[in-house]
Amino acid sequence: MTAAIDIHHIEKSFGRVRALDGLDLQVETGSVHGFLGPNSAGKSTTIRILLGLLRADAGRARMLGGDPWADAVPLHRRLAYVPGDVELWPSLTGGEAIDLFARLRGGTDPVRRDELCQRFDLDPSRKGRTYSKGNRQKVALIAALASDVELLLLDEPTAGLDPLMEAVFQECIREAKDAGRTVLLSSHILAQVEVLADQISIIRQGRIVETGSLADLRHLTRTSVDAITDRPVDALAGLPGVHGLRSEDGHVRFEVDGDHLAAVVRHLGDLDVQGLTVRPPTLEQLLLRHYGNQLAHNGAAEVA
Amino acid sequence: MTAATVSRPVHVGVSGGSVSTGTGTLLRFMLRRDRIRFPAWTLGLTLLMTYFATALDTLVQSPEDLEGLTAFSGSPAGALFGGPGFGFDDLTLERFLAGQYGLYVAIGAGLMGLLTVVRHTRTEERSGRAELIRANVVGRHAQLTAALTLTAAMAILVALLIGATLTGRGFDAAGSMLFGASVGAVALAFAGIAAVTVQMSEYPRAASGMAGAALGAAFVLRGLGDMATVQGSGPSWLSWLSPIGWSQQTAAYVHNRWWPLAISLTFAAATATTAYVLSARRDFGAGLVPSRPGSPRAATWLAGPFALAFRLHRASLIGWSAALLVAGLAYGSFTQPLLDGFENAPEDLLAVMGGSEDLLDGYLGMMGLTMALAVGVYVVLAVQTLRAEETEGRTEPVLATSVSRTVWLGSHVAVAALGVPWLLLVGGLGVGLGASVSTGEAGLIGDVLLGHVAHTPAVWLILAATAFLYAAVPRLLPAIWVVVGYGLIAGYFAPILDIPAAALRLSPFEHVGDYPLEDISGVAVVMLTLLVGVLLQAAVIVFRRRDLGTGT
Repeated sequence: MTAAIDIHHIEKSFGRVRALDGLDLQVETGSVHGFLGPNSAGKSTTIRILLGLLRADAGRARMLGGDPWADAVPLHRRLAYVPGDVELWPSLTGGEAIDLFARLRGGTDPVRRDELCQRFDLDPSRKGRTYSKGNRQKVALIAALASDVELLLLDEPTAGLDPLMEAVFQECIREAKDAGRTVLLSSHILAQVEVLADQISIIRQGRIVETGSLADLRHLTRTSVDAITDRPVDALAGLPGVHGLRSEDGHVRFEVDGDHLAAVVRHLGDLDVQGLTVRPPTLEQLLLRHYGNQLAHNGAAEVA
Repeated sequence: MTAATVSRPVHVGVSGGSVSTGTGTLLRFMLRRDRIRFPAWTLGLTLLMTYFATALDTLVQSPEDLEGLTAFSGSPAGALFGGPGFGFDDLTLERFLAGQYGLYVAIGAGLMGLLTVVRHTRTEERSGRAELIRANVVGRHAQLTAALTLTAAMAILVALLIGATLTGRGFDAAGSMLFGASVGAVALAFAGIAAVTVQMSEYPRAASGMAGAALGAAFVLRGLGDMATVQGSGPSWLSWLSPIGWSQQTAAYVHNRWWPLAISLTFAAATATTAYVLSARRDFGAGLVPSRPGSPRAATWLAGPFALAFRLHRASLIGWSAALLVAGLAYGSFTQPLLDGFENAPEDLLAVMGGSEDLLDGYLGMMGLTMALAVGVYVVLAVQTLRAEETEGRTEPVLATSVSRTVWLGSHVAVAALGVPWLLLVGGLGVGLGASVSTGEAGLIGDVLLGHVAHTPAVWLILAATAFLYAAVPRLLPAIWVVVGYGLIAGYFAPILDIPAAALRLSPFEHVGDYPLEDISGVAVVMLTLLVGVLLQAAVIVFRRRDLGTGT
């Protein structure tokens, strides 16, 4: 299967600030790709390079088989974009903006547009300046989702939406996937990516630090094990890949590296296990492993 | 219950605060924010007056010079652009200063008053900063009270500074202080008007626009009234409808009457009271005029980048068309009074207008240049909205559709470029109609229209240069004002300032010719248009190469 997005070692600096530092990213056609990272990690910069709004200093990027900078206009007919901070024209209504974007992109499906307005509970007759952040985001989302395109570039598309609208959004993305569309979904809301994404790339300080399916990534991290046994568990502590073992009245808790899980479970079987809880790592844990203390200090509020 | 909770002060209900609680703190905060603007306005207006006084000193060396000035200033045209001319039959330097130039200092003071009030009330409310303020222990009227107090302080300071400066030049002390107070009174009156307009609209620009329109109306009303006064017949009472008129009616250095300022103060108090009443009747952040829902669907014509650009520039084009038409009519209708007034004017003054022979053609040609400069301001502002589109993040989603950068930039520039001949035509129509009616020569309209529209390539050059600056280095966009300003100086003051011909050629407006006084140069039209094409091509090329401003 060909890649809808294929980025090799892209670099981009703004003055002395290095925004992208050798970024690689492959997004398969027809997949939903989660693009995960804290603020100012380079997510928006990457998307803007894909849109031909910024020019990469070095590296190679291909999108839908074209060059994002040189072939910007023909490529834009085949994609739709939702920015993280949607700004609308103060004097145009939301409905006018939606129609305008659809027409500028080259086609519009009025039935689908009206249906989406209803599903997202948007009043399209209000002027742009009277919309809240969430409503402006709905305008951009409806304009993007109503268009018949191959690729959706969504830059933190639900930052201002309430949980109800978030659910509608997830539904729409699933429908887009069923229709064979490719979705690049940037976010720092982990739950959203976890639910929707087939593949995930984690970006940190302008580089992809991890990429793969959620299963692949879990393989790389530790699983939490919680067991109740009758027999002493001291032997477990000596096994490779076992960390932070605590034992109390036959109740044992520890974490185990993904690739050693099988061996540890075999061992547990010999210990007369009475109860066992094994929890897969959450994306919070994945991120914590990559950002460590920096995340705990700067990004805790955003991840929460 | 612990001791700590018991010992806390207890506020019950609404006691312990009034609608103006926090005014003092807000006032200090405003002074802190305006630490540059406050002295800039007050000292600036004082300096402007000092400049007029010094310039007049050097210009007028003998009693004959003074008499030469009376010829123009005592005419109806002089009254329109100066004042009713108190004591001009026995002219002194200070009477001329107060009677002819005082008007412009008063307009400056009015702008100071209205802009300061809008800046500290509606602008704050619109931006959402006022919401943070009002969530604290701050009364409902504190912000308006503090803003009005600040403006009043500025007005009093301007009055004292101007009064003291003029007294210091050796002018009559009583007259100088009265003149200063008259200027300050205009600031107070328009602060009051702005206090009302900020209640009406949600948008600071609309609020200052309405107050600015009131300032313009005040200028026109007293102009018409003063003209009637000078001619000795007509509705001279019109001057008494204008806040600027009240200040001028003090007749500083002549009658030295203070009582007209009582009208100004009463007016300021009445408008401020109205503002308080209105503000209590509206919600925070809302205007008295609620915003209406618009169309839920885009009109069929709103389908491409050019249509979008037109839609975004439409309101501004309508506003400019109306303003230039009215201004053209007003200036055009002065053609005959001006010709009468200039009959005895000194030669130097006539030289500016192209000499006594061609006074009519000179005036009409000059109007063409004036309109061209005004439309030059329009194109610069139009390109500045492009920059706002980009930095505020509205360009990005458009360029993410199948609109190329060339087409996006081209559409906006094309709308502005088509606006240039249109606005020149509308302004020229106003001047032509006014001039024809005023002089009774219907044939003037054609000449005037041609003379105006002929400036199109020159204004286009300003547009192309602005577009190029925007495309290449958006930060340097304001530099284009230097070109517009130079065009104004070269166009108006070249004969007085002895600007060499070579330097004059640097102004885009000095090539086509001020028809009907001068012939239209076809070569210049072609060359300017070619230059415009080259610059626009360059603008597109550099715009396609640079990164888009990301706004956030």
